[in-house]
Amino acid sequence: MIRISDVTKKFPTVTALQNVSLTVADGEFFGLLGPNGAGKSTLMNLLIGYLDPDGGDIFVGDEKVTRDNLEARKNIGLVPQSLALYDDISAQENLEIFGSFYHIEKRTLLDRIEERLRAVELYDRRKDKVSTFSGGMKRRLNLIASLLHDPKLLLCDEPTVGVDPQSRNAIFDYLEMLNRGGKTIVYTTHYMEEAERLCTRIAIIDSGTIITEGTLDDLLAKLSYEESISIIKNSSTIEKLEKFRQFGTVVDDDDRYELKPNGTFRLSSFFKSMEDEGVSTRFIQMSKPTLEALFLNLTGRSLRD
Amino acid sequence: MRTVLALISKEYKLFLSDRVAMGFTFLIPIALIAIWGSIFGNVDSGPEHLRLAFLNASSSPIGRNIEKVLDTTRTFSLVKSYQDERGIEIPFDTVTIKDYVRKGNASAALVIPPDAYTGTSIGLKLKFYYDPKNDMEMQIIQGVLTQTIMSQLPGAFIEGMQRKAVRYLGLDSGTAFNTGIKSLVSRYFNIDTSKIVFPSLKDTIASTSQESKGGKEFFKNVLDFESEQLVGKNIANPWATRSVGGWAMMFLMFTLTASSVSLFEEKLSGVVLRILASPISRVQILWSKYLFNMSLGFIQLAVLFVFGSILFKIDILSNLVALTLLLVGASMACTSFGMLLSAVSKTQSQARGLGTFLILAMSSIGGAWFPTTFMPGFIQAISKLTLVYWAMDGFLQVLWRGAPLVDILPNLGVLLLIAAIITSVSILQFKKGHVF
Repeated sequence: MIRISDVTKKFPTVTALQNVSLTVADGEFFGLLGPNGAGKSTLMNLLIGYLDPDGGDIFVGDEKVTRDNLEARKNIGLVPQSLALYDDISAQENLEIFGSFYHIEKRTLLDRIEERLRAVELYDRRKDKVSTFSGGMKRRLNLIASLLHDPKLLLCDEPTVGVDPQSRNAIFDYLEMLNRGGKTIVYTTHYMEEAERLCTRIAIIDSGTIITEGTLDDLLAKLSYEESISIIKNSSTIEKLEKFRQFGTVVDDDDRYELKPNGTFRLSSFFKSMEDEGVSTRFIQMSKPTLEALFLNLTGRSLRD
Repeated sequence: MRTVLALISKEYKLFLSDRVAMGFTFLIPIALIAIWGSIFGNVDSGPEHLRLAFLNASSSPIGRNIEKVLDTTRTFSLVKSYQDERGIEIPFDTVTIKDYVRKGNASAALVIPPDAYTGTSIGLKLKFYYDPKNDMEMQIIQGVLTQTIMSQLPGAFIEGMQRKAVRYLGLDSGTAFNTGIKSLVSRYFNIDTSKIVFPSLKDTIASTSQESKGGKEFFKNVLDFESEQLVGKNIANPWATRSVGGWAMMFLMFTLTASSVSLFEEKLSGVVLRILASPISRVQILWSKYLFNMSLGFIQLAVLFVFGSILFKIDILSNLVALTLLLVGASMACTSFGMLLSAVSKTQSQARGLGTFLILAMSSIGGAWFPTTFMPGFIQAISKLTLVYWAMDGFLQVLWRGAPLVDILPNLGVLLLIAAIITSVSILQFKKGHVF
């Protein structure tokens, strides 16, 4: 569905993307995970032809994506990061306006609008002005406004920013349903939980470069350890920092230390040592490694940085 | 108090963050004061170089004197000939000078007729033709003209008075009166009476038959200033007819500026990105904005003129085709102006600030507030670069002068040219990409 070959995009003061290459297959739910400013939105803007790359090519299907090639956009739906809606008119009117850009037959458009509104539980509010909607409702409307032309490819640029958990879950469920129905979805986020839940394949991007990609299992397998250890910061653990470092690399992460175990790490010897040092196991949390840990491992920084 | 200070500090930080918008806050009043100052700064000396069509058909010395004085006064710029279709300068006659005013080439004409002042006249006859397209201008023209002429009249005035007195008193009493005066002057100034010469009274008596002998009308005809309004005599509401164009243009520009800068709102909200993610090009967005704003402008102008017609009896039907085309031209030019604001500004605040400045400046120097003829020469030249000037002039021609379509073609042409130039510049600026 998508072929991105050696794409570079430069702005006057920054190189947003540097030699990025990616492919996304038909029907994939592809995640693009990276911190703010990593280049995710720039890549999205290139995918819809809003920007032209300074180098490299992008194809969606057989169409080369450029600013001037309108044909390529007919099969793409974009869920923008911002709430791209008109606040002073109703939800129904917003959808009719955005649907009209695709020259859909009137009856078909109205049927689709009703179906999409019902799917995201906004049908009863369809005649209300968007300005009266909650943030979550606007996000749901923002999503379905991109689906009226039934695109094969849906680009979601952090579509859950500022959304309450209930609306987030509703959006996730809806996206999963769309993906099951055959839509290819590219989903950018800086929340590793979202990427882990939704995406069948994930690329991690940082400073305009793809630093790794693969399925979730592939990516986690790149970690040299199977357990992720968090140590809550307090007076007793802070003074034992050097002791922790004997077992791996310690990264200071706000209210805790993240311990990345080294190759000789033994869980039993770690806990025995903690007991000898008088560190309560209450302050130690074990978990399966996450993409957050992988990102930390690869970049030395948190996704939230 | 600290909280309030913190809030004030916040306001200043936000205000100072957009340097260009901040600049407009100060630039707009300074620039407008400078413009108005240069217009009204010479209020003591009055306006200069008002075009006055002039024909001196009299051979009298007083006629030549008036021409000489008017030629040298700064208030007027005398026009004594017109160009025919071949571009040849032809001196005015009594017919062509009136046509010249009717066509709006000058606001007034002064004619000194052949019999303006003869050896037997008791007063000066002048003919004044005018087009009161602007009240302020006309009052100044008439005031300055009367003052200028009167300043040249003392000799004729005394002479006329004497002739009038003789006709009123009779030749014998007049001769006795003159003899008495001569004796008095001779006695008090020790001058020989033979050296004191009064004009002959006999010539005066020759043409007395038609003169009134009533004392009340003694001063009548000392200055016989015959006025004729050539344009707008049948207009029901002259003020509204003259003003509607200027005000309509100013409000149209405000409306279209607000509408054009909506592009910034759409960009901020992400709607522009959403639209461009669909099979729609930037050029299509611009054209849709342009055509929408143009139609909105046309409708606004049309509604204003229809209301003007209903409320103030402005005649919009006599030249409906010309008026409609003019509305289209004005709407196109104003829309281009709004698009240019969006194209050259980086933020909505900048666009609004620049828009306010240009609208007020163009309205003031374009003639929407006061006649361009009051302004210094260089500002009059600049005013012809503004769309307000050409639109207003067109509206005045159609509504005030009842001009047919062919007469407003130059105005229409200039408005369309302005629209074409500004739209081209806007598209080039849009391509540089501040908005998209």
